[in-house]
Amino acid sequence: MKKLWTYLIGGLLLMLFAPSFGVAQTDLDAIKRATVFIYQVQSLASDLIVKCVSTGTIVSADGLIVTNAHSVVPSQTCDGESLVVSMNVDLNEPPVPKYRAEIANADLGLDIAVLRITRELDGRTIAPGSLPVLPFVGIGSSADLAIDDNIFVSGYRDIGNQAVTIARGTITAFVSEPRGGARAWFKTRAELPGTMSGGGAYDNSGQLIGIPTSAKYGRPATDDSCRFIEDTTGDGLINSSDHCVPTGDFISTIRPIRLAQNLIRGAALDLRVRIHTVPERMLLSAEPPSVSRLIFSPSVVDGLPSTVVGAMPANTNSLYLFFDYRNLTPETVYELRVTRDGIPDATFSLPPVHWSGGQNGLWYIGSRDQPWPNGAYQFTLLLNGLAAASQQIVVGGGADNSARFSNIVFGLLDNRGNLIGNGYILPIGSIAYARFLYANLSDGTPWSTIWYYGGAEVGRTTDIWSKGANGSDIVQLRPLGGLIPGKYRLELYLDRVLSASSDFVVAGTTGGPLPAVFSNGRYVSAASVFDARDASASSAFPEAVSTIFALFDWEQIAAGTDWTIRWLVDDLPFFESTYSWVTVESGTDFMLSVDSPPDGNYQLQLLVNNLQILAMEAAVGIGQLPIDRLAEYEGTLLRGTVLDAATLTGIANVTIVLISEDYSASEFEWKQEQVVATSMTDRNGDFQFARPLAANTPYSVIVAADGYLPLAADSFQFEVDQRAVDITMELVRGYLND
Amino acid sequence: MDFDTGRGQAVLLTPRQRWSMVFSFILLGLGLIAGANLRDSSLNQSLEYSNFEAGITARYPSRWLLSEAEDYVFRVENTAQLGFNTLIEVRTLPVGPDTTERNLLDRLTLRRSQTLIDYTVLGYDIYILPDDSAAVTMSYSYVSRDASPFLEGVSAIVAGLDVLTISRGQAVIVSFRADASIFQRERATLDRFIQSLEF
Repeated sequence: MKKLWTYLIGGLLLMLFAPSFGVAQTDLDAIKRATVFIYQVQSLASDLIVKCVSTGTIVSADGLIVTNAHSVVPSQTCDGESLVVSMNVDLNEPPVPKYRAEIANADLGLDIAVLRITRELDGRTIAPGSLPVLPFVGIGSSADLAIDDNIFVSGYRDIGNQAVTIARGTITAFVSEPRGGARAWFKTRAELPGTMSGGGAYDNSGQLIGIPTSAKYGRPATDDSCRFIEDTTGDGLINSSDHCVPTGDFISTIRPIRLAQNLIRGAALDLRVRIHTVPERMLLSAEPPSVSRLIFSPSVVDGLPSTVVGAMPANTNSLYLFFDYRNLTPETVYELRVTRDGIPDATFSLPPVHWSGGQNGLWYIGSRDQPWPNGAYQFTLLLNGLAAASQQIVVGGGADNSARFSNIVFGLLDNRGNLIGNGYILPIGSIAYARFLYANLSDGTPWSTIWYYGGAEVGRTTDIWSKGANGSDIVQLRPLGGLIPGKYRLELYLDRVLSASSDFVVAGTTGGPLPAVFSNGRYVSAASVFDARDASASSAFPEAVSTIFALFDWEQIAAGTDWTIRWLVDDLPFFESTYSWVTVESGTDFMLSVDSPPDGNYQLQLLVNNLQILAMEAAVGIGQLPIDRLAEYEGTLLRGTVLDAATLTGIANVTIVLISEDYSASEFEWKQEQVVATSMTDRNGDFQFARPLAANTPYSVIVAADGYLPLAADSFQFEVDQRAVDITMELVRGYLND
Repeated sequence: MDFDTGRGQAVLLTPRQRWSMVFSFILLGLGLIAGANLRDSSLNQSLEYSNFEAGITARYPSRWLLSEAEDYVFRVENTAQLGFNTLIEVRTLPVGPDTTERNLLDRLTLRRSQTLIDYTVLGYDIYILPDDSAAVTMSYSYVSRDASPFLEGVSAIVAGLDVLTISRGQAVIVSFRADASIFQRERATLDRFIQSLEF
């Protein structure tokens, strides 16, 4: 009985004092050290004006920082041209400006940027390899995250006035979009002020899993989300005529770090892809952005609605809103507001974020594996802060046994009447076929098909259903003059109500299972773009090749067709971007290039409608990435303090000499070859070796300072899992008698 | 047997002579004290600076060069100093409802990073003003170099300290800069200056 009480009390104490989260304080400190504050500034005479601020996270020892793009990439709202990085010298103090950084990679749509520290605060260039090892965090995976999982977010609650803080919260929802898939966004109820945008969200193991992200449309109004902190007009007053620093609203959305990994990899390898044949961005339309044709579907098949519904039964766990969009750009801020029975529903709403899709097309937003409570839902889409369209749906009631069409796929017919092809891309020709499923139909029901090309109706049939309750059927489009390249759509109506809808692309010529859209892919090495066209193709290039060009021909691609470039090295993607086709329908020698590629096996993939059409490979050097290019640093960071033993105050400017494992302190003869590293204390007596030290290696150390007895120690070493070690050494005043 | 000690017969002082000696020593002591006081008062002699527009009054060391400019309210510097001239500079900055001390110090940092070589912030602290209110300080260092390419001056490492306080809708910043090797020794000049500062 006594034992039982002991166990009970022990268990209670354990529950009381055990940390509520599984992250040790040392990990939290490491996270805080890796969190930085970023000023986007603009030069004005000899002054620097703060334009925008954000939080960032160091993800590599050599100074790569992940943050939001909207506050660092020059734009109408944030029109600065330089970036200043403030670091946490003292975790209990606000950050201190230390370095300048440049944008190494950015995706405005995803709102993710990777920065590289390149200069000292005063603008002097930092020589390659001379930046000390910076504290950084490990990148985790969000694949195993579930709703109600704990997360914590690191960032700054104000414009550089407060020390870095950790906000704790839980995952409340996952949001699906075409860009990013089923987990394009995490939702959280953690209290995250706008200045934490761009910071880091971490799981219980202290791994970076996401980036808190929010957007603000245009110049913010004079409210709490924009701060007037300095006199930018020089009139001696701080008022509404000065530039205000946007801080944004509270954040509830987090971008998974998975979506940043291509950008991080590209930046780490310093790989920049250039497109030479056409401008990288299509000329923006002067037309205002708009959305239309809002429909609901219970599921997504290859980015398209499986069917169209007007209501959902009780216990619905999956629902998506589809809509057409026009003239949207990454600068467009869009938002989804969802109300249930007239009350705002934060779980299924999406706060203002930057548009991550193309310029025109079909988009969806929704969620799966999450219960949708019964009620009348109103979905309202806002573009740049203005309501653009809305749609309603009721969730509740019994199982849905209504008649429906679903799962439309497109292709050609073989000799036996079977649909062949990839489902969503057809070559030019005379006929397009579509197969669809039907369920719960009654003979005698009126139904119709409407075909569209580029938004304009090109075919329509109306009939009375006579094919039974359940099964599949095929319909066809045979336009006058044949199928021309471009975007097509088929809508199936039951009794004049839209029941199913799907899109396909006509591009290329007949060429097997996939249309021949891209061909003659090849790599060349050349000194210039002009030489590249005539250079000989090769699949292997020597080490340190200056530039490799990738060329291909194309056939029958209509302007506006979405196509994707994906570039991988050693099977790891480092570049992926989707564009609208802007050049002529057919041509040769479309050209892309990568400068100074490191050794590796490179593969360029070209996709249309998310289907890979062409892949081409080439090896550079040994055909494999150098081992350390993407590796984390290994070893232990040694830091500490040297104190005066009498006063216990730090001693400034003391040199700490670390001696190789081949020598003891008594064998040290003050020769450079015996020295592993040196460090010098600052004015507080603190020191830190710039490079990590190898684990399980017996080092010796000598500390010598005029007026103090020298200190020596032998055979101290670090364990493999020790990322950083703090030591304190006390020096005694006195002189040695020689 | 008598031994000759080599000493003459001792001279006996008269009372007057004894008093003369005592007074001589007293006079010597008084002279030394007066000299020291004279030196101190000469060294610590100060002049008053007043700027009614900025609402600032302060006393600064005499024979320090006074200047006023658009960028600051006034600046005094010890031109007799070998090497980098120790200086004290006072500037005011407007403050908005959202502005904090740290915003202003960061602004100074960003501005100085544009013009000062290897400008580095060393730390922040609190400074108790004569009225017992707390001001924020920022210590920093940079490298000062002759602007002229034709001179062969050696660059100096300068240590600086900003004392910032927000009062009546404006920030008053007292910047003190001296060669890093004598910064601590010179710091008393800043303390005396701040003791006399009224704003």
